[in-house]
Formats: sequence, structure tokens, C-alpha cells
Amino acid sequence: MKHISRREFLTSIGVAGTSMFLPKDSQAWKSRAPENPFACLVDVTRCIGCRKCELACNEANNLPEPEKDFEDKTVFEEKRRPSDKAFTVVNRFFSNKKQDKEGNLLPTYVKIQCMHCQDPACASACITGALSKQPNGAVYYDVKKCIGCRYCMVACPFEIPAYEYFNPITPRVRKCTFCFERISKKGGKPACASVCPTEAITFGRRKDLLQIAKNRIKQDPGRYIDHIYGEKEVGGTCWLYISDQPMEELGFPSVPKRPIPKLTETIQSTLFTYLWSPIVLFGVLSGIMAINKHKEEGNEK
Amino acid sequence: MKKIIFLLTMLCLVVSNSYSSPDATTKIRKDYHPRPSTWVPKDHIKALKLAQKKYEFVKDVFKEDIILRQMRFRHLGIGIKDIKSTYMVLQSPFVNTYEDIYGPVRFMHGAHAKTLNENCVICHHYSPKDSPNKILPCRACHQDAFNPEHAGRIGLKAAYHQRCIGCHKQRQKGPIGCTGCHLKNVPDHKKLVKLPKDPTPTQVTQECLRCHKNAGQEMLTSAHWLWRGPSPYTVNHLKCTKHGKGTDVLNND
Ligand code: SF4
Ligand code: SF4
Ligand code: SF4
Repeated sequence: MKHISRREFLTSIGVAGTSMFLPKDSQAWKSRAPENPFACLVDVTRCIGCRKCELACNEANNLPEPEKDFEDKTVFEEKRRPSDKAFTVVNRFFSNKKQDKEGNLLPTYVKIQCMHCQDPACASACITGALSKQPNGAVYYDVKKCIGCRYCMVACPFEIPAYEYFNPITPRVRKCTFCFERISKKGGKPACASVCPTEAITFGRRKDLLQIAKNRIKQDPGRYIDHIYGEKEVGGTCWLYISDQPMEELGFPSVPKRPIPKLTETIQSTLFTYLWSPIVLFGVLSGIMAINKHKEEGNEK
Repeated sequence: MKKIIFLLTMLCLVVSNSYSSPDATTKIRKDYHPRPSTWVPKDHIKALKLAQKKYEFVKDVFKEDIILRQMRFRHLGIGIKDIKSTYMVLQSPFVNTYEDIYGPVRFMHGAHAKTLNENCVICHHYSPKDSPNKILPCRACHQDAFNPEHAGRIGLKAAYHQRCIGCHKQRQKGPIGCTGCHLKNVPDHKKLVKLPKDPTPTQVTQECLRCHKNAGQEMLTSAHWLWRGPSPYTVNHLKCTKHGKGTDVLNND
């Protein structure tokens, strides 16, 4: 029987490893987005900054009393982010440079909360499945499964999930729930959408809302820019925005149009599905070793 | 701050004393012009009833250019004389979509029509498809919010708010904030007030100030705090300005 030398053996594994680097049937990433989930359309041009949505959200989710009450307009002096104590916040911008008759700049108010992405990066990053996309559209958080690793907070492109740092014993990740319990009931609506006095938030099915948004833009092209933020952003979100200016001007991040989990999960699955990542690593290493050894031997001679 | 707490504490003491001791003489005010027991504000009762009236939902509307519509109505002679109710209470069940944080708006229909130069179409912008001359109230077309069958038709609450606030802003006339039109419904304070058993008057005052933060500051700028005589009703001090709450009465340190 022919003796395989150590070098030959290692080199062959190296070759095998590299050849597996481009598997022919690499698993194509598949979106798990629900077909026509519940969604909300926020019309920034309608919002009057009354903060009633914050109030309703606070009541509906039994959140703690805020430091400044909901009538207080001084909160607009700084830009706020959703937190563990407020799942939605309204911010004020003077970015559109529109003025009233007396030359005062006209404000634009924008409500922010979890976007309930169609393919949520937070759920994809969650290693225990505590965050999951529900068929009705909500990205639901199950505190019982959460181990507090906070990967979701890092993964979310909108920097939404907040963590109860003050709570040492049973800390939770906190974010807008899409009023999961309320919308699961027949005819139920999110608290913020039902309280909003001007219907700046329209609740409905995502496809209907996209149509409504398109109609509004078409009927009043002077009022809106021709873009629905959330239609394509990060592969689509359940909270959609139409506005008179790019949402990036209103504190929204500029995000890619493809689902975030598509890239990360493709890498992950190709690496881990076949469990061959160690083989690649050792293959490459052994290849390098073999070459080096060869060189050494050559030098010795 | 200490001053306010002290003063309000005194107030509380006075109030609680007058309740607790049965023989304390209570002040009785005589109403010299009592309201006749049979009197009711008729227009208000009528308006409340009207607010509950149901209108059949108008599914299809006749849309036209707003200026053409205005001219058409002028030619037809439709104007302020056609107004059936000049006073309204906007209390349709469609408006209360969440919970009643505020009371209903009392709307002066006639006065608004007059200030808008009898231009009805500013609010009555569409008519039913089959009768383009018919003027219906808002809630014939705007009813429930987010009706999937009539996607894009806003609900009554939004219709009111968008039109009212939009117009008030544009004309820079009329209120824009909530309490300019609504009375605030005072929430049930039994649920809100958190006090220990047998609270001291200071605790009570502090509890009030927990939410009504500005009330304390406002008080400091009012005559209840700053007033310095004259004291026309105080014997021997009629023209004296040395005394008063700002100097040596009750709240001075
Ligand atoms: S916005 Fe962030 S937290 Fe919300 S679903 Fe998307 S990734 Fe998750
Ligand atoms: S959907 Fe519910 S939880 Fe989310 S912001 Fe609105 S009220 Fe808050
Ligand atoms: S309740 Fe509606 S109008 Fe008021 S701040 Fe929220 S989104 Fe804007």
C-alpha cells in the first residue's frame, strides 16, 4: 500500500477545502416576509406635533410616567430617540425651510418607532428567537426567550430596541410592539393610530397603504416628494412614511434597499449549514504550511 | 418654592378645617339672579341631539374644482341663509376613536360661514355623486377612520382636525392648540393622587405640585402672592399700602 506523506495528505485537504469554498448549490436566501401584513402609513405633512401618540402609547403599554408631561412642547428642543420608557417619540425639524406669512420657519414633526421590518435584522440577529416576525406584521418580542445578549440592538438599522439598563434583575429589550394585543383583536387598531387627531397615521394592510400613499402623492404632487420610505428600504417595512422632503433630512438613516438579513444570513448559512468552515480554515492553513515547508526544504537543499 | 408650599398648605388647612369642624360657620353666597328652574339652553340641547343624528354613508362623491364649485354655488344662490343650525356641538360617535381626553368642540357654524364670506365650499368641498348641489354635513362622507373599503377617505375626527387646524394656521386666525377649542376632560383624580394615610397638609400640597408643576410658579406671579394693599375693606387700613400678601399678610417670611 502506498504511503501518503503528511504533506500530500494536508495538501489534498487544502485543495478539497478550497474547492468547497464555492459550493454549487449554496442555499439561496429566502425572505420570510408576510404577504400582506398590517401596516401603518405616517404622513409627515399631516402631523401637527401634538404628542398624543406618545401619550396613547404610554398608556397602552403601561409605560412609566414621563419626566415632562405630554403637553410640554419644550421636549422638541432636542432630538429624542425611542427608549425603554417611550416606544415612540415625535421630533421637530426645521429642514424644509418653509415659512409662514410672518417669516417664521414652519416645523415638520416626525414620529419614530420600530419600523416592523418585513425581514427584520433584529430577529435575524436574535440567537434564541425571542424576536420574531409575526404573520400580522408585528415584530414580536418574547421576554421569556430573551437572554439579554442585545444583538438586536446592534443589528437594527434604525437603532430602535432599547434595554432596561436600570433593571438589574429582569431587564427587557423594549421597543414598539405594534400594539400586538390590540391589533390581534378584530377591528383593533394601534393606540397611536387611533388617537391621532389628524390621521397622520393610517392603519391598514400594507398593500392598501402603499396604494393610498401612491394616490396621495399623485393627487398632490406639490405636497409630497415621490418616495415612500419603507416601501423598499431594508427590503420593506410595515411602517411607511410619506413626506415633503427626504426622510434622511428628518433624522432617518439612509439604509440599503435590500433586506439586511439577506447578506448576514447568506454568509452565516453558507458558513454554518454544511459545517465546513473549520475545514476551509484548516485547509487554507495547511496549504500555507505546506508551501512554507516546501520553501524551507528548498532552502536547506 | 418653600413659600408656595407654605401658602398652599395654609389654604388646605383652612379648607380641611372648614370641612372637619361641624360648627364652623360656612360662607353662604346668595344668588341674586338665579336661573329659572325650567330654563334649559335650547340651542345646546338641540345641538347635542343633532350630533347623534345618523347619516347614511355617502359612498361615491361628486368631485369638482373648488373654485368652479364656489362659482356654481354663487349662481345657485346657496349661502348663509341655507344654514339650518348656526350652533353645533361636534360630538358624533365617530370622533371618539380613543378615549375622551377632551370635551366636544362647540362650533359656531353661522359665525364661521360669515367670516368665510359665505363661501360654503371651503368645508363642504364635495357632494354626493348623484346630487351635485346637495350640501351634507362632514359626517355624511367622513365616518370611521381606516375603512378598508374606502381607503383614502379620512375619518371624521381627522376631517375636522385637518380642516380646522389647516384653516386656522393658514389664516392665522383661530386656535391651533388643543384647549383653544376643546375643554379638557379632567381625569378622575382618585386614581392619580397617591398619598399616604392621614397625609400632612404639606404632603397634600406637594402631591398637587407633582403634576401641576407650573401652577406653583404661576401662583408666585399672581396677586395672591404679590398683592400689596390698599385694603379698602379692612378697617383702618383703607388707604394703607404697607399691608398685603406681598408684605406682611399670611405668606411673608
Ligand atoms: S426597526 Fe429595528 S427593531 Fe424594528 S423590526 Fe426593524 S430591525 Fe427590528
Ligand atoms: S403601535 Fe403601539 S407600541 Fe407602537 S408606537 Fe404605536 S402605540 Fe406605541
Ligand atoms: S398624534 Fe398624530 S398629529 Fe399628533 S404628534 Fe402623533 S402623529 Fe403627529
